[in-house]
Amino acid sequence: MTNASSEPHVAFKAISKSFGEQQVIPPLDLEINRGEFIVLVGPSGCGKTTTLRMLAGLETVTSGTIEISGKDITDTRAGARDCAMVFQNYALYPHMSVRDNIGYAMKVHGADQSEIDKRVSEAATLLGLDPYLDRKPKNLSGGQRQRVAIGRALVRKPQVFLFDEPLSNLDAKLRVEMRTEIKLLQKRLGTTAVYVTHDQIEAMTMADRVVVMQAGKIEQVAAPITLYEEPANRFVANFIGSPAMNFFDVAIRDGAVHLGDQKLPLPAETAARVGAREKVIMGLRPEHMNGGDHPAELHVQCQTLEPLGAHTLVLGEVAGTKMVAQVAPRFPAQAGETCTVLADMAHVHFFDPDTELRI
Amino acid sequence: MPSAASNDRIKHLFLWPAFLVVLLVTLFPLIYALVVSFQAVRLVPPTPARFVGFDNYAEIIQSARFWGSVQVTAVIVFTSVAFQFVLGFALALALHHNVPGATLYRVTFLLPMFLAPVCVALIARMLFHPVLGPVNDLFTALGFEHVPFLTNSTLAISTLIIVEVWQWTPFVILLMLAGLQGLPSEVFEAARVDNISAWRRFRDLTFPMLLPLSIAVIFIRLIEGFKLIDTVFVLTGGGPGTSTETLTLFAYNEGFKKFNIGMTSALSFLFLIVVIVFGTLYLAAAQRLTKRYR
Ligand SMILES: Nc1ncnc2c1ncn2[C@@H]1O[C@H](COP(=O)(O)OP(=O)(O)O)[C@@H](O)[C@H]1O
Ligand SMILES: [Mg+2]
Repeated sequence: MTNASSEPHVAFKAISKSFGEQQVIPPLDLEINRGEFIVLVGPSGCGKTTTLRMLAGLETVTSGTIEISGKDITDTRAGARDCAMVFQNYALYPHMSVRDNIGYAMKVHGADQSEIDKRVSEAATLLGLDPYLDRKPKNLSGGQRQRVAIGRALVRKPQVFLFDEPLSNLDAKLRVEMRTEIKLLQKRLGTTAVYVTHDQIEAMTMADRVVVMQAGKIEQVAAPITLYEEPANRFVANFIGSPAMNFFDVAIRDGAVHLGDQKLPLPAETAARVGAREKVIMGLRPEHMNGGDHPAELHVQCQTLEPLGAHTLVLGEVAGTKMVAQVAPRFPAQAGETCTVLADMAHVHFFDPDTELRI
Repeated sequence: MPSAASNDRIKHLFLWPAFLVVLLVTLFPLIYALVVSFQAVRLVPPTPARFVGFDNYAEIIQSARFWGSVQVTAVIVFTSVAFQFVLGFALALALHHNVPGATLYRVTFLLPMFLAPVCVALIARMLFHPVLGPVNDLFTALGFEHVPFLTNSTLAISTLIIVEVWQWTPFVILLMLAGLQGLPSEVFEAARVDNISAWRRFRDLTFPMLLPLSIAVIFIRLIEGFKLIDTVFVLTGGGPGTSTETLTLFAYNEGFKKFNIGMTSALSFLFLIVVIVFGTLYLAAAQRLTKRYR
């Protein structure tokens, strides 16, 4: 499976898509390496599904080219692209048993019955579907159905797996289990995978690289930890991480952040990098308000406390801006009073107020 | 909240009127007809009702005209329903896949169904007129002059079948189109991505998924088809001779031309039995077919 060549396995080159007059994907470039697990993530309606369907050949491309293994497949019909797709609502053949669902494509393509049986039973064992092989999809649970859909995709040994929100119809517990399973399976098979989700946790836990999209535009492509530590702009910073990052309008003077009438000293190297600014957006994650390498006292008008056990969320206001802080379980704070949290100034982010890009 | 008991009493208020109406308009005439079918009743000349047991039934079963009408009905119904289904399904598929001009066809295809069968028959009589009709003009241009569409028995049956197909294919289109549009599109997209050809998608996915609907549509058309009378009445009147006489037309002729009421009632019951037998056989066969896919 692993090809040593450095050329990307899948490449989008200035791909755009319009439905009638409305352009939903402005020209977009993306390269996906062989064997990589790429996750497209973004809010609903940002064009993830459309992008995936263009790769699958289910949607025409308005302009640009798509290449798989260096071959232009922009106008190739869906069936000839050697991709396999898993849909959100499973899309199983309702009148066929699990066995027939998984083996159907091989059978149509004239594979030997013994070969079909072998691969179907391999896939069934891998996915824990052995006891259900003779059942019809309607007699399976959601998780089992999704496994069948995955089995159907993997017996074909395609070049690329495409997943369109495969887990969003499952309950929370099953979703956590399945995401681990899918990731392990993909690593074992080494097949390139493109996975679409609106759930940033799914994206962070599964991806080798995450593509964050907004309104058809790619905001950042990076490894999960890079997205978290060095978000390219305010949108990514806000989208990645839970609870979401707090943003404050601040000024930087004399090596310290001025937030309302409060003054928070910055580490020397950060102050040197950012310089003095009259107007800048400061991003501070809720989990970075519990002390750290470079703590600074921040007085918060506390409105509500949410004790979650492992930690407590303080919901409040600083200088008229709503914010959330994640602090120790028994943090001494009272709703309606002012409390003091320790902002870790080594982990603050600054964004340009006009371009919203990271500084 | 009203108590369960008073709720119970109120339900009778709603149930009984409807039940009585049904009793009055269906059950009572049915039982009355059954009674009459065992009697000799003539209105013209009036004779007093006389119990004759199964004589009416025996007479009908021995009459060649009855078996002729059964055969005519069966030929017209089975042939025309087969054509209606194949043609209707094909056109529904074309409309579903938005062939060019689909929106125009969508309306025009449905028109014949909205016409009263008598109008359709009158239109058809004009079209197939052996001297003046446009169909004759067409055949004349092709070198066949004055084809006796309605007066040659084989041609007359064929003409009736064509008219039936023309009028009722839209019904099949309508229902099959609704069925097609209700199918989950992702299933077919999954098949496309898996490189399944259009023909195999139809054979292995569309057709089996629409099989229960197809069975119902065919069943409705069969039952309706058996009652065929108006087009035959207007177009051929059962002729030449009785070669296009359907069961209902036969019953009509017995009842309203000869006023032989006892005989007509017996005929109606035989008709009912014929339909029930055909219907049961059909459903049994259909069930075996669907069991493969359940
Ligand atoms: N067939 C279509 N016709 C018109 N607009 C569409 C169609 N499919 C998607 N869109 C629009 O394209 C945008 C992106 O949709 P989609 O790719 O489904 O978003 P996502 O999967 O990220 O939620 C949405 O604004 C949606 O309304
Ligand atoms: Mg989507």
